[in-house]
Amino acid sequence: MAAASRLRSFILVGLLPALLLYLIFVLVPIVWSAFYGFYEWKGIGAAKFLGLANYTEALRDPIFWKALKNNLIIVAASIFGQIPIALVLSLVLWKSSWFHRFVRSAVFMPMVLASVVIGIMWGYIYHPQIGIVNYVLDKAGLHSWIRDWLGDPKINMYAVCAPIIWANIGPYMILFIAAIQNISSEVEDAAKIDGAIGYKRLYLIVVPMIWDTIKVAIVLCISGSLKAFDLIYVMTGGGPAQSTELLATYMYNNTFNIFRYGYGSAVSTLIIVISMSLVLGSQLLMKRK
Amino acid sequence: MMKKLTVVLSSVLALSTLLAACGEKQGGDNTSAGAAKSGAGSSKIKLSIWHNFSGDDLRAKAVRAQIEKFKQANPEIELDAQAIPPDGYRQRLKTVAAANEMPDVFFTQSGTSIKEYYEGGLLQPITPLLDKYPDWKNNFFQGAFDPLSFDNKVYATPLSASATSLFFYNKSLFDKYNVKVPKTWDELMAAVKTFKDNNITPISLGNKAAWLAQSSILSSLANRVTGTEWFLKAAKQDGAKFTDPEFVQALTYFKSLADAGAFQQGFNSLDNTQMEQYFVQGKAAMMIDGAWALTNMAASGTKEQLDQVEVTVLPAIPGGKGDPNTISGGAGGGLALSKNVTGKKLDAALELIYTVSGPEGMQAIAESNSLVNYNVKIDPAKVTPLFYKAYTLTQNVKFTPVYDAVLSSAGAEAINNGLQELLIGGKPEDIAKKLQDAQAKSIGK
Repeated sequence: MAAASRLRSFILVGLLPALLLYLIFVLVPIVWSAFYGFYEWKGIGAAKFLGLANYTEALRDPIFWKALKNNLIIVAASIFGQIPIALVLSLVLWKSSWFHRFVRSAVFMPMVLASVVIGIMWGYIYHPQIGIVNYVLDKAGLHSWIRDWLGDPKINMYAVCAPIIWANIGPYMILFIAAIQNISSEVEDAAKIDGAIGYKRLYLIVVPMIWDTIKVAIVLCISGSLKAFDLIYVMTGGGPAQSTELLATYMYNNTFNIFRYGYGSAVSTLIIVISMSLVLGSQLLMKRK
Repeated sequence: MMKKLTVVLSSVLALSTLLAACGEKQGGDNTSAGAAKSGAGSSKIKLSIWHNFSGDDLRAKAVRAQIEKFKQANPEIELDAQAIPPDGYRQRLKTVAAANEMPDVFFTQSGTSIKEYYEGGLLQPITPLLDKYPDWKNNFFQGAFDPLSFDNKVYATPLSASATSLFFYNKSLFDKYNVKVPKTWDELMAAVKTFKDNNITPISLGNKAAWLAQSSILSSLANRVTGTEWFLKAAKQDGAKFTDPEFVQALTYFKSLADAGAFQQGFNSLDNTQMEQYFVQGKAAMMIDGAWALTNMAASGTKEQLDQVEVTVLPAIPGGKGDPNTISGGAGGGLALSKNVTGKKLDAALELIYTVSGPEGMQAIAESNSLVNYNVKIDPAKVTPLFYKAYTLTQNVKFTPVYDAVLSSAGAEAINNGLQELLIGGKPEDIAKKLQDAQAKSIGK
């Protein structure tokens, strides 16, 4: 009894620093920023209390909704792009042979590159004059397919999804490989005897056995996609004409280019609310399954 | 016993990391605050200066050399000079301004930028310095202090002149296709057509960062149509609106360039350096760009390429209200003085400003291939030929306001985004309305 309570107090003491840091640097700023959202402040001079005006303005601004739509495109691209590709790759590459390890590192490599590097690199890949995409299309005789990939508002949102998917497959693949390696060999053997091979093995054994990991991956996808900022900021800056604006770039531009700190705070509070409800909603959906 | 010790030790460790994290932050704040406050008491005067001449270009080096000169000449003054990269400079200044920890002397852009510090009550005028050196004061061009003055008091002198809409053209391409250098809008459109027909990009544009079309093309083009008076009124929302027909007409002119296919493919995803390279390599016949292009092109082009480049003003618009012999631009930013500086420190700060922006400084900056609003004799051998052409041109034209130096930050952002939209098919009326709404709202009208 005494030992148990001592253990518990040790756990508490051990958690305390992390908890304190989390409180001070995460929760308190969130509350503060929600509070600053009630004010108008240019960074210099006195702040003016506005009530809910910043929040209603954001909700009425069509660009805010466009940004949300763009974020949802990225959420969809991540869930339906990253997770299936990562799953397939993990099924193919789960062994530890030299070749598998090499391909695995190659897939994981974008994760260790700075996102500014990735952004600039893909900026050149999509470059309207010297970009390799247009060059290949040109050489393949597909002239009508040549586009200004990042400048044409009809397609640029989809064009920027490609590097986002490419750069983020790595960690999901690692997660899935770890989960697959954890499936006990008894289950695998039993399944084999019962004739579950190939696709059947995937649907009936692998996916159900690693379902919890997939759920975690989906939640990570959603929250990561709503935070998306760096790649888009480098590649398009949210432009042209705000066609690739995301919630985060919208917030950044309002806060640090127009210097509307209050409005930016209000937008970031809204981002938190939206992310929370999306993550909670997805969890509820998956629980029912 | 052992366990208790571990608990105590680990909590001490955790707390100390926490404290260290906090302590470091405070330490950082203290040094900058200390530099600002402690000057008066100690025998050695402590002075701080912030500027954004951090780069490797000639002008940045010239400015830093002047600051270094001041350091050498005044060993009794402890000078803390911070060169902060231009991207994010304004954000950093704003952050310390919010905490009331402004450096004693700092570089700020003219127009909207310095106005914010003035309105925040953070500046004091540099009148004593101008009174002390009247020759220096009188050598500045007429109107050079305008975007840096409030209430008839000068708060900074321009370190360099901005000229945002120089009309560059490639002489050999014009000769080759026998095209006349356009003096009117119709001639420009005819030139666009000829080059287009010969598979040469008529005008190089790179508007990814969105300010370029506004700062370089619209500022001059719209001025040709509306005149300066209308624009200043519209910016103040005092008797003119951006939805007025003359501004919509200016946007329509701009749009007609895009509709005629004057710009290269993908101009919305190229930045200004890429556009300058494209032009200097002879792939485009014309380019409308600011004085910064002079140094950028000199850095990337060969001598033969640069020799083909000529520079003039944007063509006139038929029936326009503005003077066609103008370039948008005027006084650039300068060194401003914090309100908190007093006594001996004030004298030192003024002397520092004079060392950097005085006659010697102006000469050095002009010879680093930068335009200035100050009467200097430039030795053509010391600057690049292209700069000398631009310099001679700017001596003979008048300057008109640049849009984003006069509009509020929100208004400038609205027109920047609006022009991107205009060039990919937006309607002039809609864009005019967006600018009108943003400007009216941000200045509270």
